[in-house]
Amino acid sequence: MASLALTFGSGAMTNSIADTKKTDLFFMVGSNPDTSHPTIGMRIHQAIDRGAKLIVVDPRRTRLAERADLWLRILPGTDVAFLNGMMHVILEENLWDRKFVEERTEDFAELQNLVKKYTPDQVERITGIPEDQLRQAARMYAAEGRNAIFWGMGITHYVTGTDRVKSLANLSMLCGKVGMEGGGCNPLRGQNNVQGACDMGALPNVFPGYQRVDNADARTKFEKAWGVKKLPDKPGLMIPQMIEGLTNGTVKLFYIFGENLANTEPDIRHVEHCLESAEFVVCHDIFQTETTRFAHVIFPAAAWSENDGTFTSSERRISRVRTASLPPGEAKPNWWIFKEIAKRMGHEWSAKSAREIWDNEISQLAPSMAGVKYARLRGDGLQWPAPNEEHPGTATLHRDRFTSGLGALTPVDWIPPAEVPDEDYPLVLSTGRRLYHYHTRTQTGRSAGLNDLLGEETADISPSDAKALSIGHGEMIGVKSRRGQVFVKANITDRIPQGVVWMAFHFREACANWLTNPAFDPITLTAEYKACAVRIEKVGEKTDQRI
Amino acid sequence: MNITINGLEIVAQEGITILEAAKRAEIHIPTLCHLNGRTSDIPCELCVVEVEGLAAPVRSCVTPISEGMRISTASKTLEAMRKERLAVLMETHFGDCKAPCNLTCPGQINVQGYIAHVAKGQYEEALRLVMERNPFPFSVGRVCPRFCETRCRRILIDEPVSINHLKRFVADWCMAHKIDLRIPRDPATGKRIAVIGGGPSGLTGAYYLARQGHDVTVFEAAPKLGGMLRYGIPAYKIPHEVLDYEISAILRMGISVRLNQRWGEDFTLQSLKAQGYEAILIATGTPVDESLDIPGCALPKVIPATKFLREMSEGRQGNYGRSAVVFGGNNIAMEVARSLLRQGVGEVTIIYPRAQTEMPANQRSIRAAEKEGVQFLLMAQPVSFVDTENGIHVGLIRTKLGEPDEKGIRYPEAIPGSTVNIKVDTVIVAQGLSACKERFAGGELEATLELTPKCNIKANPRTSLTNHPGIYAAGDATSGPRSVIQAVVAARRAAENIHAQVMGGSRTAGENRFNFSRGKGFDDVDLRNFEGINVKLREKMPTRPPQIAIQDFGEVKLGFSEQMARTEAKRCLSCGCRAYDRCDFKELAQEFGLDPNKTGMGSKPVYPVQLDHPTIQVDLNKCIYCKRCLNSCNYNALELTAESVDGKGRPTGLRFRFKENCVSCGECVDNCSTGALNKKDALVPVVNEELRAVRTTCPYCGAGCQMVLKVKGNTIMEVTSDPSLAPNYGALCVKGRFAFNFVQHKDRLTKPLIRRGGQLVEASWEDALNTVAKRFFDLKSMYGPDSIAGFSCARASNEENFLMQKFMRTAIGTNNIDHCARL
Repeated sequence: MASLALTFGSGAMTNSIADTKKTDLFFMVGSNPDTSHPTIGMRIHQAIDRGAKLIVVDPRRTRLAERADLWLRILPGTDVAFLNGMMHVILEENLWDRKFVEERTEDFAELQNLVKKYTPDQVERITGIPEDQLRQAARMYAAEGRNAIFWGMGITHYVTGTDRVKSLANLSMLCGKVGMEGGGCNPLRGQNNVQGACDMGALPNVFPGYQRVDNADARTKFEKAWGVKKLPDKPGLMIPQMIEGLTNGTVKLFYIFGENLANTEPDIRHVEHCLESAEFVVCHDIFQTETTRFAHVIFPAAAWSENDGTFTSSERRISRVRTASLPPGEAKPNWWIFKEIAKRMGHEWSAKSAREIWDNEISQLAPSMAGVKYARLRGDGLQWPAPNEEHPGTATLHRDRFTSGLGALTPVDWIPPAEVPDEDYPLVLSTGRRLYHYHTRTQTGRSAGLNDLLGEETADISPSDAKALSIGHGEMIGVKSRRGQVFVKANITDRIPQGVVWMAFHFREACANWLTNPAFDPITLTAEYKACAVRIEKVGEKTDQRI
Repeated sequence: MNITINGLEIVAQEGITILEAAKRAEIHIPTLCHLNGRTSDIPCELCVVEVEGLAAPVRSCVTPISEGMRISTASKTLEAMRKERLAVLMETHFGDCKAPCNLTCPGQINVQGYIAHVAKGQYEEALRLVMERNPFPFSVGRVCPRFCETRCRRILIDEPVSINHLKRFVADWCMAHKIDLRIPRDPATGKRIAVIGGGPSGLTGAYYLARQGHDVTVFEAAPKLGGMLRYGIPAYKIPHEVLDYEISAILRMGISVRLNQRWGEDFTLQSLKAQGYEAILIATGTPVDESLDIPGCALPKVIPATKFLREMSEGRQGNYGRSAVVFGGNNIAMEVARSLLRQGVGEVTIIYPRAQTEMPANQRSIRAAEKEGVQFLLMAQPVSFVDTENGIHVGLIRTKLGEPDEKGIRYPEAIPGSTVNIKVDTVIVAQGLSACKERFAGGELEATLELTPKCNIKANPRTSLTNHPGIYAAGDATSGPRSVIQAVVAARRAAENIHAQVMGGSRTAGENRFNFSRGKGFDDVDLRNFEGINVKLREKMPTRPPQIAIQDFGEVKLGFSEQMARTEAKRCLSCGCRAYDRCDFKELAQEFGLDPNKTGMGSKPVYPVQLDHPTIQVDLNKCIYCKRCLNSCNYNALELTAESVDGKGRPTGLRFRFKENCVSCGECVDNCSTGALNKKDALVPVVNEELRAVRTTCPYCGAGCQMVLKVKGNTIMEVTSDPSLAPNYGALCVKGRFAFNFVQHKDRLTKPLIRRGGQLVEASWEDALNTVAKRFFDLKSMYGPDSIAGFSCARASNEENFLMQKFMRTAIGTNNIDHCARL
């Protein structure tokens, strides 16, 4: 989201889910909403039923790819080259929106200059996408109409994640597709409240409402509101740096609130080694997890349905979460735990409920949410920005101007993934989520029925790769990277292109993160979950060698 | 566009149907098959309406409105048409609305429901469900005659489910785990109500009245509460500590108690009225023993049963010698005999003038007495008692059954000349009990209190009112000795009546008798219902061996282990419909006053229940072919076909299939008009229990879907959705609808844990919070604030994330705060 913030001044989905009813063309890049955002996927299917056009850019033949007017089976990790190629064609064929670019954006010349070198034949060599398909995609997207870009983690889970998002933003501005209903740039967020966690300033560089910590005025405002003398002025560490800090001794104490990073961060073995080095680890959680094994103190927390609060969805919609049941035993709401520790450290906080925290603090401090009050959240919630209490919320961002004024066209060059296949590790491992489970299964694995729907992990591989190693469907295989190895059943499917292995991170033993590469995007430090080099082996052969 | 519906002028949008226009005007038109503008190709035809100028009624779901249209949605003709259509569908609908156990329970407890809770490990919720209708789960769970088990369909396969043992298990489990059910009390009404008698019926009445917010005072003559549960049922059946716990849980509802208050001496009905009690519930039970009217019946060694049992309860050791006889065949006689064995009396004989099978006592109690060594002398009755130095000489005469009287009852008659004499040390008389001797004492109101011929209080069985306004009676005091559950039921009903009186409302409608049934009697039940179900005998209740048990007053039956309870609960066949609370078909049949017993219903299963889908089960025997499942599916992932349709529009040869592309979202289940589709995991039928609908936001992906949690007590029963709510407008995915059980999973952390000596051990909050605060403080002072890093949580709420970053920035003083935004 960092890059959307850089280009548009606001890091969030520009449009609304309901817009899918109006969209003329969906340009889906690295997103498989049928499994990751099922209800949104369903709306897109329905839009296609009514005649909307669809371009899917994905190495995998997803269900949407099957229905697409144009499916571009791109090589993993080459999106920036592809997007630059799109813009090359759009400029070459004069399909761009001159008026929009002139009135609403800046730095066009630089962009124009950069994409010049991404000629279709050059792009084809990098991405595997034939020139005619590239041209067709460019023409379809640039054509008149409400054309929306959607993307998911298939864009951000790369060392070049930021670049990709910038490129997508460039493309949409170049064609004037931002600020209109049914169009826009729409990142689908993976977690229920990842938008909210960002909005709330659970980030090292910003306070709630994206007010920068290195801005003195912002600090003064928060110092006053929070009754402290001096707030730290340097942006803090991001998660990968924190983990690294444990091994080099700069970080001593980890305070982990409901995260299972021992399974979700890339290269599990390394992460666990780092956690072992911590002097003190405090966890809030509802279950023991792989991560709480490293804890010195675990606080039993109330679960989602046991407390009041709000979540903010992908489309910036703030919705209520309500108490349905009471927490078991002595488990307590997280806000109470924070408050009690703060009190013991000399900070008395007055708020006694989620509502008080929101109404009296958050909406006072975050200008884009100043108009959001619990009393207003009874119905369908509100989409920020809602700067005052009369404001109805905002379904479409950047209608007349970008939050930052002019949209910055930011040229970016393609660079390959940090780890590319070679002789020893000839395949690319890409990872993601499956429909029937969620993250490390701490919740879905404990819900009846879901384990029946999906009881174990598989490694999805192409028929041709399977044939080359004479691997049968359902056969146990080893998947190995430079960081580790897992044993998992092979799922041979023509949805996967040759040269790619696809896995999820729901099951501990066969978790893809034993293999993934802790290489990070330089700005957001998002890990390259979507590409690392692996090889697969028949387990039978391996056993023979041992004998 | 202007139209008129039922004389009401309405401005409606052009182009919509009559049904839609009526819906927008909040005018109800019944329909079964209409959904999201789509209907079945074999329409239900319930939505017919009359339009002025048209000869015949039209289907409102397909008829667009036109300017000036005058529509009538109700008339005799329409009603007849709708009734006919519904009756046709009812003729073949096959299933049970309510399970036989639910229907048989005098307390109308949702038996199937609490068994299902046990099967799911939700013991607390099981107990809460029992407490809805019975505040004495511990006692009833130990002494209930178990009407429900006699009707359990499992009998047709092997043995009934041990229902009562499960009830006892959940009560005991919650006691052992110190569970506070936290049952809420309604806001105070300011109404004062007096309850006379602190036994099962008095306390039940007090409990439900207090729960409804009334200010209740219980007046009890004895020094302790419990009535017959304490003073009539020995401790080997209901241990006193269990009873004390049970009563304390009842009193927690906020009930005032006045002990050692004798009615007629310390207070009267008049004095209670004068003190401002707006209603009085008499629940004094049957404290008066009927005596034998024969010579010697007043001897000190001829002891009334209730007196004897009271002494047992108080722990008094009597000298009852080596042999004793007990006269009577009721439950009390059995308990007296068994208590005598425990007092060291070697030879205990129950004497009864009829056959053993005619004894009013529960057969289970008779068998228990027999097992412990109680002897039975049948077809004999006493004629005299004579006290001698070496015991009481009891004169007995043999009996035979006489000719039937006009009601067909055969009374025992003495056989002349058959007198025998036996010598015993103790005689106990357990003939019968009544509410009072001849009349109650105390004052005018007591003296004029109308009684039955058996000296019990006469109360209207429906209203529980006595002949005095504002004075109610319930339990044994009105009925004579009955089971505990019957006392509970009577008192609960009385409480409802009292509530209605003092609040000036009418009593809530009685239990609805509408029911589809797969067969009322066992003979009516088709055995094909049980195809594929294997024989699995019930769990055996662990019991102390009789020769050990009679050595003390310790509890004889030890209770199920958790494993046994789970295994036993899984034997339940789940007869009752799990869609009971959401069945539109039933709702409409009732709206039109139809009764399956009159219309007819299916008598045998035609289709096997389909269990192949991981989360959804299909019972086509309940399908009415409305096709709402097909019309609700956003993925076109269902197939429902019929081989043919009969002359009345009913399908035969139904076939239902989930196609390859089914994503298990469960939307079809939520839209099923009957119980044909059910979520496998939604085991617990909701019969009359209050369900709260809590609107909330899904905790999984970032779509922000709105969902409606159906909550009972402290348990999320089901997740559904609301088609009117943005952004998902009713759609949910498989995780949204099915992945919520984790909330109550047994792995939940319930106490703070601190690492001590390498191990994580339970600790108090105070300890845990202090430890953490101190470590934060120490490390911050030693290495600076940036040595501390905080991971916030993209799954948690905004408010919690806000506090986490506020904590890191203010209390610690670092910007080292991040979260898994990248995942």
